[in-house]
Amino acid sequence: MGVFTYSLSKSKLICLLAILLASIVFLTACGDDGTESNNEDKEQGQAESEDQSATESEDVREISHAMGDTTIEGTPKRIVTLYQGATDTIVAFDVKPVGAVESWLQQPTYEYLSEDLEGVEIVGTETQPNLEEIAKLNPDLIIASALRHEEIYDQLTEIAPTVAHETVFDFKGTVELMGEAINQEEKANELLTAWDDRVKDFQGKVTEKLGDEWPKNVSILNFRADHARIYFTGFAGSILAELGFTRPENQQSDEWGIQLTDKESIPEMNADVFYIFNEEDPAVEQTFEEWKNHPLWDNLDAVKNDQVYMVDEIIWNMGGGIKAANLMLDDIYDRFELE
Amino acid sequence: MTKLSSIKNKSKSNQLNKKSLVTFLILFLFSLLLILLCLSVGSSFIHPFNVINHLIGSGTGEYDFVINTLRLPRVSLGFMVGAALGVSGLILQGIIRNPLASPDIIGITGGASVGAIIFIVSFMGTVSVQWLPLAALLGAAIVAVFTYAMSWKDGVTPIRLVLIGIGVAAAMNALTTMMIVLSDTYSTSTAYLWLTGSLYAAKWQDVNSMLPWIVIFIPLTLLFSRIVNVKQLGDDIATALGVRVQLYRMLLLFISVALAGSAVAYAGGIGFVGLIAPHIARMIANRSFAVLVPITALIGGIIVVLADLVARTAFLPLDIPAGVFTSGIGAPFFIYLLYKNRNM
Repeated sequence: MGVFTYSLSKSKLICLLAILLASIVFLTACGDDGTESNNEDKEQGQAESEDQSATESEDVREISHAMGDTTIEGTPKRIVTLYQGATDTIVAFDVKPVGAVESWLQQPTYEYLSEDLEGVEIVGTETQPNLEEIAKLNPDLIIASALRHEEIYDQLTEIAPTVAHETVFDFKGTVELMGEAINQEEKANELLTAWDDRVKDFQGKVTEKLGDEWPKNVSILNFRADHARIYFTGFAGSILAELGFTRPENQQSDEWGIQLTDKESIPEMNADVFYIFNEEDPAVEQTFEEWKNHPLWDNLDAVKNDQVYMVDEIIWNMGGGIKAANLMLDDIYDRFELE
Repeated sequence: MTKLSSIKNKSKSNQLNKKSLVTFLILFLFSLLLILLCLSVGSSFIHPFNVINHLIGSGTGEYDFVINTLRLPRVSLGFMVGAALGVSGLILQGIIRNPLASPDIIGITGGASVGAIIFIVSFMGTVSVQWLPLAALLGAAIVAVFTYAMSWKDGVTPIRLVLIGIGVAAAMNALTTMMIVLSDTYSTSTAYLWLTGSLYAAKWQDVNSMLPWIVIFIPLTLLFSRIVNVKQLGDDIATALGVRVQLYRMLLLFISVALAGSAVAYAGGIGFVGLIAPHIARMIANRSFAVLVPITALIGGIIVVLADLVARTAFLPLDIPAGVFTSGIGAPFFIYLLYKNRNM
């Protein structure tokens, strides 16, 4: 029957639809007006903060970063960090952020940072930080990552001046950006010089101890529930390269790494030293056992020479800041029994 | 004879339409209240009275950022996405004459996902993220054309379309999984978020780009409603009644793809709305397609807005993808449908 009753209601329905559409258009129009007035308010707000900071300091810096140029006046006091590396780095500067994103593991913050981050508001996850929470904290600086936050960058700048790093794992870049943004460039240089000194110290000591056996070929392995990964670049990869470790020929690429799904490819892993970080999970544990029990595993150099090391996933892969980098270096010192 | 019965039913159908009108108005009011609720609830609670004050422009402006920049675009986009998905599902269920049809099942969402994931894995960081919706839309269109072409054999029959659609959807899922597995860890989490579907970071720009799709294609659906009603009777009868079955099937499919594709482009793979919304509409309204279109649109909008409301407030400070909750309601509902239709 529907076919024939249709015509009777047609005009009414079209009328209703028009109302619906009109209301949607109305809503949109409302919002547009609002956005404009919002911008005006924001300008006012900025003007106010300019007055404030002008009394504190005359220092005005133009910072160019992954998402453009941002002007920052004085020394920001209320800082929100939106990626793990930034949270780690700000702690290294002895500054306490007002807000930070939740850690991937050991929520809400990594244990190695938890003491320094006591009382810091959690503003959601790194991939989807809660904009309302950030706004509520009323920050005067936001440190973001273009990789994660490109989509919300405009909204972030409405809350506070926002600087962004390209990635999330370049700890030196984060230190530099942070130093500029929070007006502590000297401290940034200090941190980086201290790091370079440690790297030199390590290289000297390791060459002395190992002689011809240095440099060593290294593989960074990560086992998952259904496959294994070899990491080439990234946080741990770049640090090992800086320390002077070399890579097996098949791993010298700019790719992030490769994924092995078949135990037949175990020989791809071959190197003098293995650093392995796995998630604490029974399924991962089981996969790791299976791979280790494969006959090809015993043919690997690192396995034959007993140079297989299980390392902390949080320090080696997730922390992503200069504190984590130093802890990772501590770990390597220990493993080579250097002092 | 049909003419006679049509006259006889005139008064009855008037009642029917009055009833539909009432249903529609109730839903419409409910939507408005829900939107109001969404605008006042969040990390900080804003009294609904203050929200209204703000909206009519007599507020003090203290809520400008939270309402205008964050909540209003998000709720508007959510409503449009839900409406588009709902109507897209309604059309598919109409032309395929199968209550289980939805944009997810015949591969439209899958195609959009592949488009989006290719973008996330290969171009994110080098190309501006604002092109992501286009990549998704392109994926949906390519897959739809492919499915349609593969189903063509002297015309397209609904059953062939569904079977090939399911196959294509499976292939798309495989492709998506493969690309995620091959990508580095940093883009993996972004990819998963997109696949779940989220209204996070909705902007006026998104709202404005989504609006034309809704304004053009939902009314267009109404124009074809008579045809759909006839097609419900089956291809043979429809042809006998003078409907150019193939032509209209293609046009309707096109509308359906456009609606689902645009929705997925802006909100990611929000699942099950296209399946559930038409069913709920049929439960509360009569079965005439023209009535069902606006009602389904409202219900779809309500589902997505409601899911997003829960998603962004239930686990504060975490902002969870709305897709988690649409699937949470949708999956049991799908099982219920399978159970109900087990004798079909």
